[in-house]
Amino acid sequence: MMEHKHSQPYAITVQDLVRRGKDRIPEELLSSEHLIYNSPAALAFNSPGAQGFGVKRAGLSIPGSIMLLIGPGCCGRNTTILGEQGGYQDRFYFYILDETDIVTGRHLQKIPQAVAEIVESRREKPSVVMLCMTCVDALLGTDMERVSRKAASVCGVPVVPCYMYALTREGRKPPMVDVRRALCSLLEKQPRHRRTVNLLGFFSPLQEDCELYPILRQMGLVRIQELSRCRNFDEYLAMSQANFNLILHPESWLAAQDMEKRLGIPSITLTRLYQVSQIHRQYMALSRALGSPIDDEPWLEQARQAVDAIRTRFSGVTMAIGGMQNGNAYEMALALTRYGFIVREIYASLSPDDFVYLRHLAQWSPDTEVYSNLSPTMLYYEGASHPVNLTIGKDAAWYHGTAAHVNWDDDIQPFGYAGVLSLLRRIGSALEERGHSTR
Amino acid sequence: MKGLWKYISPFAPDQSGAAAVLYGLGGIVVICDAGGCAGNICGFDEPRWFSGRKSAVFSAGLRDMDAILGRDDLLVRKVCAAAETVGAAFVALVGTPVPAVIGTDFKALCRMISRKLNVPALSVPTTGIGYYDAGMKAAYEALLPALTQEESVVEQGRAGVLGAVPLELADPDEQQVIAETLQREGWKKTTFFDCREDYEQAGRNERNFVVSPAALKGAHYLYERFGTPYEIRYLGRPLPGDVRNAVKGQRVLVIHQQIAADAIAEEVLRAGASFVQTAGWFLADPSCIRPGHIRLKEEDDWCQLADNDAFDVILGDIYFKRALPHFTGLYIDMPHFAVSGRY
Repeated sequence: MMEHKHSQPYAITVQDLVRRGKDRIPEELLSSEHLIYNSPAALAFNSPGAQGFGVKRAGLSIPGSIMLLIGPGCCGRNTTILGEQGGYQDRFYFYILDETDIVTGRHLQKIPQAVAEIVESRREKPSVVMLCMTCVDALLGTDMERVSRKAASVCGVPVVPCYMYALTREGRKPPMVDVRRALCSLLEKQPRHRRTVNLLGFFSPLQEDCELYPILRQMGLVRIQELSRCRNFDEYLAMSQANFNLILHPESWLAAQDMEKRLGIPSITLTRLYQVSQIHRQYMALSRALGSPIDDEPWLEQARQAVDAIRTRFSGVTMAIGGMQNGNAYEMALALTRYGFIVREIYASLSPDDFVYLRHLAQWSPDTEVYSNLSPTMLYYEGASHPVNLTIGKDAAWYHGTAAHVNWDDDIQPFGYAGVLSLLRRIGSALEERGHSTR
Repeated sequence: MKGLWKYISPFAPDQSGAAAVLYGLGGIVVICDAGGCAGNICGFDEPRWFSGRKSAVFSAGLRDMDAILGRDDLLVRKVCAAAETVGAAFVALVGTPVPAVIGTDFKALCRMISRKLNVPALSVPTTGIGYYDAGMKAAYEALLPALTQEESVVEQGRAGVLGAVPLELADPDEQQVIAETLQREGWKKTTFFDCREDYEQAGRNERNFVVSPAALKGAHYLYERFGTPYEIRYLGRPLPGDVRNAVKGQRVLVIHQQIAADAIAEEVLRAGASFVQTAGWFLADPSCIRPGHIRLKEEDDWCQLADNDAFDVILGDIYFKRALPHFTGLYIDMPHFAVSGRY
């Protein structure tokens, strides 16, 4: 079995991983078993809010909401980036804890007053105040639900706690799972509309040209709601009128469960895939589940043609795929291998669920090597020793400065056949820009 | 309201200051956190990360069960495994709010680690509550006794500069500016304490220059240990001509770290300002404090001082301006990376 240790980055081939099985994932690929290497490639794991959506940015998804972050100064530090670049400048406030607060818990008495002062200072009343708690209050066992109720009664605006507890990252309710639940917690039971559906999972909308919208309309669904497309608080509240939820990101399971329990809205899960044939199968399964026919033929055909074209032009191009992108690195590797690319390396966290893709990938590309961005041995990784033509994901780009790059981490979310088309277009453009010869 | 910050995001915390001093010294730096603090350091407070120069900075990846059960043995095992993989010359543990709240015994951890690895293990017990300068100060205090070697021969013309980490600099080239300034003054070699040899050979320095109040205690330690004299001095770029012109006859407020603020204030006075006031949130050592300097604690303090027409010109990081909607004078940007995370 090929494994490298000491002075070399740890890597294991897909073939060997599959041989070991999902119950024997090597320790080097499990973040709980070693220190976590803190490199720019690991940023998405260590500080998801620094790029993309972390708890702070996600927590402000409700239109008109503002956030009070309660914690030591260090917890709010990277919020400067969000304020400057993300247009959130006037939506973040900080209650900075000092030692006395932590020892005596006096801040809990002051939060309602702080919330009232913030609400009063604004020209327009916010729709909701999110209270973002950090590891300190997690360890103190603060009952922030109670504090939120008190604050709401003082300021006359809904106040909702959300939890930026990195300590619980590998627990049952990791922060990014719980914040999705928190965002739905203000929804109240209403009469459900038969022809209304919610798309759950992302904090920004699906790409405009995503076929999921017309497909849902084919099925008679006239109102397709996404939190990120809500223009005001009333549109947000209308999400509780949905007949059912479509879960598009696995981290929405808790929100969906909560909505089913409190509001009686059931849910169906769809997975983001890049294998055209699997996307088709998934739509057929959705059709069966809802008892309504789906004709995805035009989009399926378009995607097949795009795959044929990219295969003709770039078959044999080598690539490395990272985890900092809009997709599952293993599923994407499987799809792109099937489309004629040679995936040399994957840098991503690995969970037992990924073996469903790895088993197939082992047949197509057994020598593809899997690395963990988080392993201390990645200190020794030198992209120059493992050259590839193309990278997908910001982490992969970090390792391979000279390759063509597709960051594939935009806020607008790729999905379905449209996602495949966009990805293949971007790959084609990146390779052409680098002067990669077409056939 | 005390503790409430409505305009200004928090400054670089103490753990970022500690990590900045420890960066690139050949040891492994373990941020004892759950991940977010290390992410902040890497993604925000340490521009050298993105320069391609690697440094063995790790997150301990603490989880709730580590905090509840105090699994120090697990942490020691992980640290030793990483140190052996990397071949670390020393191990530095950096504190964050989690170990501060659960009362981690860093000294005991260091003893356990150094016994297993046979390399020095030191700790910087930062808490995430203090500012970057407190972390820098603590890191110098921990590093200097641990790394400096006995050295009796002073090298004439060799200067050491303490405190010139990116968090304290106005632009990425400022270290080069400092080196050139000292070279013009006849110093043959300048060291910045940004590699292990600079610490090991600190006794060879003919003189140390202190550019941040956070490094004063470190310089004093070297004075006591080797007799190396030190000079508190701002070595950054002088004020541009347009700024000198703009402050003539004006009431000026300078907000920065103490050594920079003092030097700028003197320059502003020389340029003809009618009055100069310095202020700041950061360390103000009695040995370099300017008479009348105002120590700020809260955001409200800043608003009371400057959100009015008491001053005609303010020199400071532009980020502070957000809290001054009523200030109608001229605001001149003097970037401070520890404030706004930009040059």
